[in-house]
Amino acid sequence: MNPLEIDWNRLNAIIAKHRGEKWGLIPLLQDIQETIGFIPPESMEPIAHALNLHPSQVQGVVTFYAGFSLKPKGKWVLRACRGTACHVKGSRGILRLMKKELGLEEGETSPDYQFTLETVACLGACFLAPTMMVNRDYFGKLNPTKVTSILAQYGKEKGDE
Amino acid sequence: MENIVLSIDGQKVSCPPGTSVLEAAEQHGIKIPKLCYHPDLKPYGACRLCLVEDEKTGRLMASCVTPAASNMVIRTATPRIINHRRNIARLMIAEHPESCVVCSKGNHCQLRLIASQLGIGETKLHPMPNYKTLEQANPFIIRDLSKCILCGKCIRADHELVFVGAIDYNRRGFRSRPATVHDQALEKSNCTVCGTCLSMCPTGALSPKNRTYVGSPARESIAICGFCGVGCSLAMGAAGEKIVEVKPAQRPDSVNRATLCVRGHFAHDFLNVSNRLVSPLVRPNGNRRPAQLVPASWDEALEVIAKRLADIKSVNGPQSIAFLGSSKCTNEENYLLQKFARALIGTNSVDNGGYIFGQSRLRSFDERTAGGGRVNPLRGLERAEAIVVLGADPGHSLPVVGYYLKRAAGQGIPLVLVNPRRTELVNSAALWLRLQPQTDLELLNGLTALLHTKEGYDSGFIDRYTEGFSIFRYSLSALDLERVCRVTDIDRRQLDAAADLLHGKKIAFVVGQGILQQKGGQHSLNALLNLALMTGSLGKEGTGLYMLAKENNQAGALDMGAAPDRFPGRQSLKDDRVRKQWEQAWKVKLSPDQGLNLARMIMEAEKGNLKALYVMGENPLRALPATERVQKALQKLDFLVVQDILECETTRMADVVLPGAAFCEKDGSFTNLEGRIQSFSTVVPPPGHAKPDWEILDRLMAKMKNGCGYGSLEKIRAEIRQRVPMYAELDGRRQGWLRATSSKVIFGADGADGLISFSPMVSVDEPVKDEDYPFTAIFGSMRYHLGSGTRTGASRRIQELELSSEIEISPQDAAGLNFKEGEAVNVISRHGAVGAKVRLKTGILPGQIFAPLAVRGNTAMNLIGLSDLAPADSPGWKTCQVTLKPA
Ligand code: SF4
Ligand code: SF4
Ligand code: SF4
Ligand code: FES
Ligand code: FES
Repeated sequence: MNPLEIDWNRLNAIIAKHRGEKWGLIPLLQDIQETIGFIPPESMEPIAHALNLHPSQVQGVVTFYAGFSLKPKGKWVLRACRGTACHVKGSRGILRLMKKELGLEEGETSPDYQFTLETVACLGACFLAPTMMVNRDYFGKLNPTKVTSILAQYGKEKGDE
Repeated sequence: MENIVLSIDGQKVSCPPGTSVLEAAEQHGIKIPKLCYHPDLKPYGACRLCLVEDEKTGRLMASCVTPAASNMVIRTATPRIINHRRNIARLMIAEHPESCVVCSKGNHCQLRLIASQLGIGETKLHPMPNYKTLEQANPFIIRDLSKCILCGKCIRADHELVFVGAIDYNRRGFRSRPATVHDQALEKSNCTVCGTCLSMCPTGALSPKNRTYVGSPARESIAICGFCGVGCSLAMGAAGEKIVEVKPAQRPDSVNRATLCVRGHFAHDFLNVSNRLVSPLVRPNGNRRPAQLVPASWDEALEVIAKRLADIKSVNGPQSIAFLGSSKCTNEENYLLQKFARALIGTNSVDNGGYIFGQSRLRSFDERTAGGGRVNPLRGLERAEAIVVLGADPGHSLPVVGYYLKRAAGQGIPLVLVNPRRTELVNSAALWLRLQPQTDLELLNGLTALLHTKEGYDSGFIDRYTEGFSIFRYSLSALDLERVCRVTDIDRRQLDAAADLLHGKKIAFVVGQGILQQKGGQHSLNALLNLALMTGSLGKEGTGLYMLAKENNQAGALDMGAAPDRFPGRQSLKDDRVRKQWEQAWKVKLSPDQGLNLARMIMEAEKGNLKALYVMGENPLRALPATERVQKALQKLDFLVVQDILECETTRMADVVLPGAAFCEKDGSFTNLEGRIQSFSTVVPPPGHAKPDWEILDRLMAKMKNGCGYGSLEKIRAEIRQRVPMYAELDGRRQGWLRATSSKVIFGADGADGLISFSPMVSVDEPVKDEDYPFTAIFGSMRYHLGSGTRTGASRRIQELELSSEIEISPQDAAGLNFKEGEAVNVISRHGAVGAKVRLKTGILPGQIFAPLAVRGNTAMNLIGLSDLAPADSPGWKTCQVTLKPA
């Protein structure tokens, strides 16, 4: 799959579903984010037209919420918690390890669109600190071995570039 | 509802419910610092500087978003509040970059002002400027968002006032900034560079780009924009004898309030260009071409004119002399010019540049309504029941009218747009009727007939104010709607939808050059009036016809009698009573026969019948179609006088050139499209030896009759007030309105029972396909230029845009002809050929092209033949058939 090639048919179908809905912007964006994996920047104009908004307003909402992304993300989005509880329990080292293993900096996506590395302020599972998420799955009480095995579980072999 | 009473700083204050604490305080002279509040914008509460305290509860609140409530006891400046304000301002400054000290906003920066009022010098906080972008690629606006304090004024102005939506906040928190889509530069977005956001910005985040002047202007005066017929109020900043900055005057009673357009805001730099005329010019050697034009004294130049005109008059008669008044000069000046023609020379051959935009076609409209309905404030549009926009692209031609329309539509007022091309209004329209060019008449007939069938007419109104409906309705019932749909290319469902939207409503019609200049435009205007009469859409606020005047004093020039068929006050030459009055006033004999209009002046010069032409403030060589023909005609004249402000094509041909003054260099008045008479005074003196145009005419006329002149503007105004009842309010006050003088009761209580008649229905011929010239070229304007572009084309900022001659064409046609974006092509009509670059536009239908006029160096007018617009069967100047060939 080349995620940069936008599936306009699917996109247009989603936009059409919400056309004219006055309060439909966020559900529409969520719909696109889920189905396509990101909000293609080129889709902001058609979205705006369908909802009778200015494209700049659509962009305002897209860039406001961390849940929307204008860039395609990897198949697996890994989120390392950098909240206080996790920090105390050594999340800095966990993040460092993840960066090294994935060869990615924060906010980056691997060229094969398999992995995206992100950080969050708190995953809300402090009792399990340090924590991370892969897409919708939580992992807690992390240590370096556990991290490596989680990465392996999602197809990232050690040293496999 | 009862007023609310509260106490502010110990003062009892009363205000209507819904007033904010801030506004209540301001209305009573209590000042509260504020950065994000603006009276024209919805309250926002972003900056928190307007904090006040309720003594009773001890609560601190932002006064701009807190509605006043009874029994509040508000304190606006307790030590606690001041301390908070100080902290807020300190934080803002800590985030500010060091370039603050050299900021071009200078003394206009409200942040700096407030900081100094609060006594903040050093913030004693860690400086944390956080944003790097400095954008100044476009010639108009510099964006330095490191100075942005996130007050949201620019965004709100862009969304609420001008309805463009070019910018909105991006991201959030600290990194949030106003941004265009895809974070592009302004000029790459849909921004219209109106500058409204710029004049709202309290800091140096948005500032005007000015190459010739740095710092704040030394003084500021109010003026009226000299470009389009809206007549915006400007605050013109001057340094020395030059205008260096222009802003909206922000007067609550002005047409534009806080808005402007790109021309009004930025194009006034044309005033300071090097080709301004600064001295009278004559040709030595008995004043004949080809002798070079050389500077002369005023006496010398006026002497030559007086003598030559007297000679020509005595040899060839008064009818061999004609006068062209100006749709850009003042009322007083046009009045003098037509008096010059009629009373001194004895000819009715006087016209003005408004002719080019179809102004003369308003005649039958004026006659049917007896001049009623001339006063129609634009604010009525925001209270209309329904709006129909025909043949107009106000976003480009009269941008402020565009703002009114978009705001009206934004409030839910149904807007029906009638236009063959996609314009910016399409997004605001409830319905877009995309008809074939020049078929508006058919569409109007069809709509009227359909509304009639659906009983969407106002019987009460028809009975009371009109006559001839019983005959007119026969023609409505007989109308073949299928033919209407075929000719206009509008399908029946759409026509029905339009009728349903308008059913039972009083309609406001906004009418542009698309109607006024088009083939059969006169019939279309009649059909419009029929529809207005049938639906009772006349004589009330938010109804009637809004005629878009393209140039700033187009309406006033006509009112002042700079027209071959009318005296001042739009009174007919043929009316014996009226003519007698003017004969008495001027102590001369006046002819009831119509003189030459602008097109016929050229034709008569061509034939050698016209010997002398006096042009004031117009550039016919550039503004008229068929440049070559016009040039030859002007060459045949014995004597050409041009009085203007810029050296141009026409001045170069003149025998005598007189340097006039631009609108901000003299006193005078303009009448805008609403019927608002706006008087103004000098902001800066004219350059060099140039003089106000009224003074030039006054001196020349005095010389010719060996008498003395008026000597003052007030004396001219007094004569106008006395002789033209419509202009009773031309008394030097900043604003007045045309006095209603219509004899029809619908336009005012003093009207008699004069009924307005329906005019007989006329149809357009079915178009025949033109095999040799298969494309219909539609001519129109671009927001950067006005009229023929003589003044806007001289603006350095506009020049920097490097607009080139382009034509817009549909992608389908481009593919068929194998044209690529940007390719040079030849556009050929029966009358001429021009070169242009191709732009592909989906907003254009196959078979049509759009050719913008007035772009510098652009000669698209040459495609149109020079014809007289006055006869009902005139081919018009709005479209013509062309063919396209690779260059
Ligand atoms: S210049 Fe006008 S159109 Fe452009 S962003 Fe500012 S307000 Fe909007
Ligand atoms: S750019 Fe100016 S007007 Fe816009 S939010 Fe920033 S400070 Fe306010
Ligand atoms: S050109 Fe027209 S719309 Fe623009 S500022 Fe001047 S009067 Fe206003
Ligand atoms: S701090 Fe990591 S889950 Fe709360
Ligand atoms: S003026 Fe009230 S919060 Fe800015």
